[in-house]
Amino acid sequence: MKKVQLWSLIIIMIFATGCVEKEILDDVNLETAAGYDYIDKKVRGSALVPVFLPDKTVHNTVFTASSNLSRDFLRDIQRQSSDPIVTGSLEVVLFGEKMAKKGIVDIIDAFQRDASIGTDIYLAVTEGPSKKILEGNYSKRGNAIFISNLIRQNIETKDVPKTNLHLFLSSYYQKGKTAYLPTIRSIGKNKIEISGISLFKGDRVVDTLPAKQMFFFKLLVDNYSKGTFKVDMKTEKAAVESIRSKFKMRLVSRKPLTVGINIKIRAILIEYSGAKVTTKEIKEIEKSLNETIERECTKLIKRFQEKGIDPVGLGHFVKSRTRKFDFKTWEQTGYSNLKVNVKSDVMITESGVIE
Amino acid sequence: MEQLVPEKGKISPFLVFFLLHTMQVGIGVLGFQRIIAKYAGYDAWISVLVTGLSIHIILWMMYKIGETTNGDMLSAHTFVFGKKLGKILTFPFIFYFTLVAVTILRTFIEVIQVWMFPDLNTFWYSLAYCILAIYIIFGGFRTVAGIAFFGVILPLYLNFIFLFTLPYTDFKNLLPIFDHSVKDLLMSGYKMSLTYLGYEILLFLYPYIKDPQRSKKWAHLGILYTTFLYTLITIITFAYFSEGQLQKHVWPTLTMWKAVHMPFVERFEYIGIANWNIIILPNFCIALWCASRLLKRVVHLKQKKGILLISFACLIAINFFKTREQINKLGDYTGLIAFFLNFGYIPFLFCLVLLVKKVKKK
Repeated sequence: MKKVQLWSLIIIMIFATGCVEKEILDDVNLETAAGYDYIDKKVRGSALVPVFLPDKTVHNTVFTASSNLSRDFLRDIQRQSSDPIVTGSLEVVLFGEKMAKKGIVDIIDAFQRDASIGTDIYLAVTEGPSKKILEGNYSKRGNAIFISNLIRQNIETKDVPKTNLHLFLSSYYQKGKTAYLPTIRSIGKNKIEISGISLFKGDRVVDTLPAKQMFFFKLLVDNYSKGTFKVDMKTEKAAVESIRSKFKMRLVSRKPLTVGINIKIRAILIEYSGAKVTTKEIKEIEKSLNETIERECTKLIKRFQEKGIDPVGLGHFVKSRTRKFDFKTWEQTGYSNLKVNVKSDVMITESGVIE
Repeated sequence: MEQLVPEKGKISPFLVFFLLHTMQVGIGVLGFQRIIAKYAGYDAWISVLVTGLSIHIILWMMYKIGETTNGDMLSAHTFVFGKKLGKILTFPFIFYFTLVAVTILRTFIEVIQVWMFPDLNTFWYSLAYCILAIYIIFGGFRTVAGIAFFGVILPLYLNFIFLFTLPYTDFKNLLPIFDHSVKDLLMSGYKMSLTYLGYEILLFLYPYIKDPQRSKKWAHLGILYTTFLYTLITIITFAYFSEGQLQKHVWPTLTMWKAVHMPFVERFEYIGIANWNIIILPNFCIALWCASRLLKRVVHLKQKKGILLISFACLIAINFFKTREQINKLGDYTGLIAFFLNFGYIPFLFCLVLLVKKVKKK
């Protein structure tokens, strides 16, 4: 009796494994990047599929299709592809400028819904059509890997704030907060760069920050950040790299509503144009840096208030300190009347290996 | 008093910890956060904590019932209502546990179908699962308890996986605390109690515990551990998702696992779901065992035949639930019945048992 049970179990397990569709890696086309553009009142989707060549390089193939009903362009693309296209290893999704101004949440819905797509894929807005960016040839490892590494590298060590699909959606659905994405543009043939930050109101881009303000933006939106910054003083110039930064918000007073932002930075000096760096110079650099950060961050927040966007999450912060918070009055008058005091505290700890 | 179970068929008291905990933690963990947040927003973790602690009262009642009647549900019913009425009243519980078994298996298969294999055949998978469960139950209750033990120990590492989501959390989401009315909190507590269900099996396996007095401690610990785990998961989930975003996800726990990135695995939720098989297995076995055990006690059908009969019924019933909506309804109704059973019928029975005890003494 025992034996019969065991054997029937084994047999069923063998047969049951054949009951689902197989996806063998060699027999599918992996979509690694996607781009969406809004052209002639239609959404044009592009899918980047890498073809692995025998000499270990990657050939980038881009399939495109357009339709009125945006998200399911994959079905149309399947007709152009020799193997079924699967979405499991999607790394990057790009949105063309016009698409981003039109609203992207309908498209993102598909990525949220599809269980096979990860939440740590990168989204980015492109200057000009996204198809053009996908069609370049940036690295031997394929464009998708290149773009995603480009963004990751800049998040981890430089001025791009932390971003991915999850964080974008989290801010998008958070009351009292708006989303943002990095912007990519092409500079010459086969070269691209991160050119700034696109700021969203709802799911539409309403403003773009240039690259030189990204450092300050990152200070405001990320709790801990790294980045480099140039300081112009009266006579000399210096470059400073932030090692650690800490960001803290406090509710200073309720009437009038005032939020205090404290930014604490530990930095090292990496370049100085003058002859010698002494304590006096360091103090001067710190002071000038403090002034710049406070001025620029206040300017940024003013700009957000004017545009009615809130990437810092000030609304969310005030809500977390207020019972029965009313978002309606907040949106109408609360946010634009909010006073924000930025206080920065830079400390330069080291000045390199020379004096 | 009659001896219901021979001494060698009994289990050590500490296994009660695993039996109760594993029965409580099931498919509910994958998606309860959204449902409770619907009512009390991000204050719902308070409901999770309070509901979890309130279960200890029910547990205490169940132990009192067990001690007084020295047996299982049927003994309690016979003690209160007499032999015939007792049997009639116990009979619906067979259907209840069959329903629980179907719900567990069907909701789990739905997860596999949505997340991994859309074309997985419900029937064949259930058949394989049923045969496995039958095989385990044929080994006796001690084997079922053993599976429960492994069903807790083996997937233990999953708890640490939640730490991977910490870089993306914002604990400001939880503030301000107590921003919702008591009514909201109660409503969310009611919804949460459905996720906590499963501890009622104690009333049915009571005669199998070697030293019930000593098992009390373990039973309470088991439930405390579940409460602790659920509260922790709730708080991490609330910090990870913003409120509007959470409402979009049917299985927030699985979505959270998507953030887990390890050098050898691109997407963790696949491992998690595969592992969930081990968590579901003891639940399914215990439900089937309870049903067949009752069948034996009530109509004197041999337990082996009873299992076959009930799993056959499960296999047929499971094919009727096809869409998300139907499966949702199935879960809702099972939860509703279980809720009234646990928070209505058990306290009621407890009072009756005490009353009859007093009358009999006189």
